[in-house]
Amino acid sequence: MIDPMTVLAVLAMAGVTYLTRIGGYVMLKNRALGQRATAVMEAAPGCVLISVIAPDFVSRNPANLAALAITLLAATRLPMLPTVVIGVTSAGVLKWLMG
Amino acid sequence: MSVSEIALAKGQTTNGRGDEFRRGLAASVPVLLGIVPYALVLGAQAARKGLGVAEVPLMTGLNFAGGSEFAAIQLWTSPPHILLIAAITLLVNSRHFLMGAALAPFIKHLPRRQVFPALFLMCDESWAVGLADAQRRAAAGLRPAFSLPFYLGAALPFYLAWVAFTTCGAALGPVLGDVETYGFAMAFPAVFLVLLRGMWKGFAAARPWLVSLIVAALAHLAVPGAWYVAAGALSGLAAAWFLAGAR
Repeated sequence: MIDPMTVLAVLAMAGVTYLTRIGGYVMLKNRALGQRATAVMEAAPGCVLISVIAPDFVSRNPANLAALAITLLAATRLPMLPTVVIGVTSAGVLKWLMG
Repeated sequence: MSVSEIALAKGQTTNGRGDEFRRGLAASVPVLLGIVPYALVLGAQAARKGLGVAEVPLMTGLNFAGGSEFAAIQLWTSPPHILLIAAITLLVNSRHFLMGAALAPFIKHLPRRQVFPALFLMCDESWAVGLADAQRRAAAGLRPAFSLPFYLGAALPFYLAWVAFTTCGAALGPVLGDVETYGFAMAFPAVFLVLLRGMWKGFAAARPWLVSLIVAALAHLAVPGAWYVAAGALSGLAAAWFLAGAR
């Protein structure tokens, strides 16, 4: 079953996302950004990513915090796939051990 | 010779379109191996939030931007808060502006009827593979530097796999049960932490991220709902603005 509100939300997401995809090409192809605007644009992706996962850093579950520490360590030295495997495994095992 | 002159210069490509497409397919293989688990996890989490097996491919096929889909599903309510979801999607995908701008010099010789569909398929992976290939070809003196069939060969399998495996995840989600108990929720921070490492340019450049992390964490503890993302991201951007002025 397809819910109309879900379709609306998905269409809103799709429209916004497509605008971000063509926006850089359409607006910036013949223009140079100023120094401050460039600094803001360079910091933006990281600021967004870290904000989305910020709740994991203040989790009330000790097993989650320990698993996050292990995942963070793995992320500094391993490629994507092993990091995800280590993160998921450590979270699963620690939750099982620590309840 | 500037990048745009290289892209504009007429010349021979070494391979035919079919060969270029196949070269792109080969480049997409390692990426495909990496995304299948996330696609399954996203589909399963979407199913937990009440999205059906038809609704998941609708989202992943029309939106096709994994980070924003994870964020949207995290914040999904019934009925969904459309403005919040659109705003978070914009924030998470704002990096596309930078990616498109970096690609612009390589693709502006192409007709718009090719550029606009090609940009629909631009995600972190296809962008990185396509841009790196264009830079390599430019350095090797190949014209045009940006190979559209190569890019499509790298991007299309990724698109099809993303839609197919998120749908599988939605179908399997109820069988898997509560994915949280298996630790799959940690896949999301793991992906983002590796992406952040890829963006790392030293501690000074990362100071706005630290501001974002602290503000978002405090906002999450203080305010119910998903506004912590907007609070964290915007305070990080403000920090970047002020730090750039102080330099």
